[in-house]
Amino acid sequence: MRSPLRDRIARTVAAFGLALAALLPAATIVHAKDILTLRVGTVEALDSLNPFETALNVGYEVFTLNYDLLVNFGPNNDPVPGFADSWTQSADQLSWTFHIRDGMKWSDGQPATSADVVYTYNLELQGTKNGGVVGLGYLDPYLKDSFVTAVSAPDPSHVVITTSRPTSKLTHSYIPIVPQHIWKNVTPANINDFLNNPPVVGTGPYQVVESTSQYVRLTRNRYYWGKQGAEDEIVIQYYPSAPDTMVAAFKNNELDYIHSPSAESFNQLKTAPNTVALASEGNGFTQLNYNTYTKGGGASTTALQDPLFRQALGYAIDKPTLIQKVLLGYGTPGSTQVPPWEKAWHTEPNDLRTFDIAKSNSLLDAAGYPRGADGTRVDKQGKPINLRLYTPNTDPSYAKDAQFIQDWFGQVGIKVSAQVLDEGTLVTDEALDTTKPIKTQLDYDMVIWGWVGDPDPNALLQILLTSSIGSTSDSQWSDPQYDALYDQQNEAATDAERKMYMDQMQQIFYDAAPYDILYYDNNLDAYHTDKFAGWQNQPVQGGAPFFQDGSINYTLLTDATLATPAPSVTANPAPQSSGGTVAPAPSVAPAPVPTDTGSSGSPLPLIVGIIAIAILLVGFIGLTRRRRAAAEDDE
Amino acid sequence: MGGRYFIRKVAGACLTIFMIVILNFVLFRMMPGSPDRILLRNPNVTADSMAAARARWGLDKPLIPDQLVDYLQATAAGDLGFSFKFHGEDVTDVLADRIWPTVILFGLGEILAIIFGLALGAYSGWRRGGPIDYIGNGISLILYSMPYFVIGILILGVFAIGLHWFPTSGMLTIGGGDGTFGGQLTDFLAHLALPVTTVAIGLIGQYSILMRSSVIETLGEDYVTTARGKGLTSARILRSHALPNALLPAVTLIAINLGYVIGGAITVEVVFNWPGLGTLTVTALEARDYPVLQGIFLLLSVSVVLANLIADLIYGRLDPRVRS
Repeated sequence: MRSPLRDRIARTVAAFGLALAALLPAATIVHAKDILTLRVGTVEALDSLNPFETALNVGYEVFTLNYDLLVNFGPNNDPVPGFADSWTQSADQLSWTFHIRDGMKWSDGQPATSADVVYTYNLELQGTKNGGVVGLGYLDPYLKDSFVTAVSAPDPSHVVITTSRPTSKLTHSYIPIVPQHIWKNVTPANINDFLNNPPVVGTGPYQVVESTSQYVRLTRNRYYWGKQGAEDEIVIQYYPSAPDTMVAAFKNNELDYIHSPSAESFNQLKTAPNTVALASEGNGFTQLNYNTYTKGGGASTTALQDPLFRQALGYAIDKPTLIQKVLLGYGTPGSTQVPPWEKAWHTEPNDLRTFDIAKSNSLLDAAGYPRGADGTRVDKQGKPINLRLYTPNTDPSYAKDAQFIQDWFGQVGIKVSAQVLDEGTLVTDEALDTTKPIKTQLDYDMVIWGWVGDPDPNALLQILLTSSIGSTSDSQWSDPQYDALYDQQNEAATDAERKMYMDQMQQIFYDAAPYDILYYDNNLDAYHTDKFAGWQNQPVQGGAPFFQDGSINYTLLTDATLATPAPSVTANPAPQSSGGTVAPAPSVAPAPVPTDTGSSGSPLPLIVGIIAIAILLVGFIGLTRRRRAAAEDDE
Repeated sequence: MGGRYFIRKVAGACLTIFMIVILNFVLFRMMPGSPDRILLRNPNVTADSMAAARARWGLDKPLIPDQLVDYLQATAAGDLGFSFKFHGEDVTDVLADRIWPTVILFGLGEILAIIFGLALGAYSGWRRGGPIDYIGNGISLILYSMPYFVIGILILGVFAIGLHWFPTSGMLTIGGGDGTFGGQLTDFLAHLALPVTTVAIGLIGQYSILMRSSVIETLGEDYVTTARGKGLTSARILRSHALPNALLPAVTLIAINLGYVIGGAITVEVVFNWPGLGTLTVTALEARDYPVLQGIFLLLSVSVVLANLIADLIYGRLDPRVRS
């Protein structure tokens, strides 16, 4: 007797088989015919579309595409027109006047005027009064450090900003100008709840129209005042914790540009066809920092507080070897806390330490740390020096660095035990909480970690201030002279004067060595050249196209498949001069598609889910019916 | 089935869920590294902004009773809080985005594994000692012992990177899609094919091994001997007597496994960059995003408890010996 259920199951299985067979020819990736899409891959997943609430590189990348800064970053991080198209400083240097481009519109067609600048900057000023923060607080220093006292708009085309001291920082500010008519109900108190859902209204070249857990999609701003790139859409796709999957997708031509592949994958990409693999100088460093806190805590020896001890150990680190073996060559040896990328501010210190085991040994002897009977040095309390070296689990290269350092320090008589810790644990370890007793805190000796800076050196200088203990300080180092110099350089009237103070700060830091900067890591990027051309780096010499500062290089891309390379734009022909309305783009560029509350958008998974559940129910009912035969018998 | 049995089981499930909710809260707060500290690796952060972050997330209040009571009240009202990492977004929204991809992936994977696994196991048990048995059993054991990510990487390497038959990652091709529903569906299925195969292969071993031993055991029962004695054909014995009884353990296993569908396997999702709850768990863990972690844990625990409850109830219905 035939079993109806068996037939049913057989049909289901056959259906699956047919579906799979049907997939094979259709498995080529479906492309729209008319829309040119730039697909970018990154290992960070966007945390927020609100520029004041993002902590990540990818967040900055998105908001600099969506919005203009008052003054944008140019090809060499030089000030170029942004929201303002020209600016002047008063004779007494205490007042700046910015001219807002005539006829400029927001991406929803509303006029963009000086009122929007005043609104945005006042949001910051009010929020940071009396020690408050705006959002996460990452954008606050750009106005706070510029000594701004007031922002006003005498007319729709002009913004006047007054400062209490002369400063050049106003033309290097990362604060995006947001539309007052959209943000009018946002205050510093409720900004954390403002999601800034798509479509995001801005004056930048591309607007966010869709944001999901997997990617963010931007389309052309039809009212943009300047040149746009050949791409009609930009999709930034996230590969959180999966850089190798990202590289696989890139090799498979599912991505046009990737940022931060691993060094090993990067080397493979160097020989791939139609691919440029770019290693560029990065604005950051990796350091070995010591626990130098002088008022207690869990450091295992007082030797860590002695700058002579730390200096001597500095001679036992072979930085070129670390770069070669750990970074596969993608870095430069470290010295001061201002990376060479910040060309105007970096200074090589005097008495540069090189790898010299003999010298390290003699310096340690001279500093009063003799070897004990078993070869391990003892500190001034007679205790053998046994240092714990912690590394966070976020980057496997740190653990490799630790192994080398363990070996080298061992050669000079310092025992090191290395351990990889969870990032959260390590962050808590390093952060001093003054409301709790000191005895149980700061339970570490040495840590390897890293920092990434801003175009302005203040960001990296300030992690070493006394006031940073309890927040960003890794070492709990405190030097009143360094603190005083920080204020002086911040208040300097000219760049030359500022550099003078900064040079002193760098030398003090290098001599005291609370951190030993191991190396300045390179940025690794890769892109295909057969779909897009016109790739330019920022800075032009030795930089990379994307994930730097601002979005200018997105606007320079051309279509590589066109026989005669047209000027950068297929749609918007507006010249970059100020004045003159921008003609809306022709039909090639679709208008920004509004989505509902910025989520997953497609009902597709729901439908497939319903189908799947239906199959499940059918199968289940069949299986539990005991009167019928329950399973087929393949014969 | 007795009403008493039903009520007892449901009450037990409710109590378990309540204890899970409390454990949920305590467990994640015990992890070192609070979320405001994780924000610290940006050099522009000041002590003020950190303090503001702590206050905003309610972390400055004492753990017990203030934070615990707040948490219990909110959970009872269905408010799972706001994500720390995805600043400002509701946890329920963050989870809702990602539940469907995981359920589809693992639901379909489970179904395929069940169908093929049970079939293979039944056949192996029936033809014990035959070639299918040896080969099938051997393969099942190998696949069962391989971690998901190994299977996943192998499949990815061969079919996506090597043969270019399928895309390497993600759920849909964005910025592509020809817009029609058919095109979208094809695109989705193309992306789904490899991960689903990985999950199915990883799970098939469980079902086939279980079914095989269950069938073997059933075939040794007295009533099977009786049936043979009565002159019934082998096929008839298998279908009407042996398999229904052999399926009982399988039913329980199926019901329990379905509870884990929501958890997803983190490794498969990360290998294929599948935007489900698995990748969300990794992201939330790194950021110490307590509300999201608590939400995921709650979801997973509740679904496992419910699946167990259903398994108990179904077993009670299927097997009269169990009902009291």
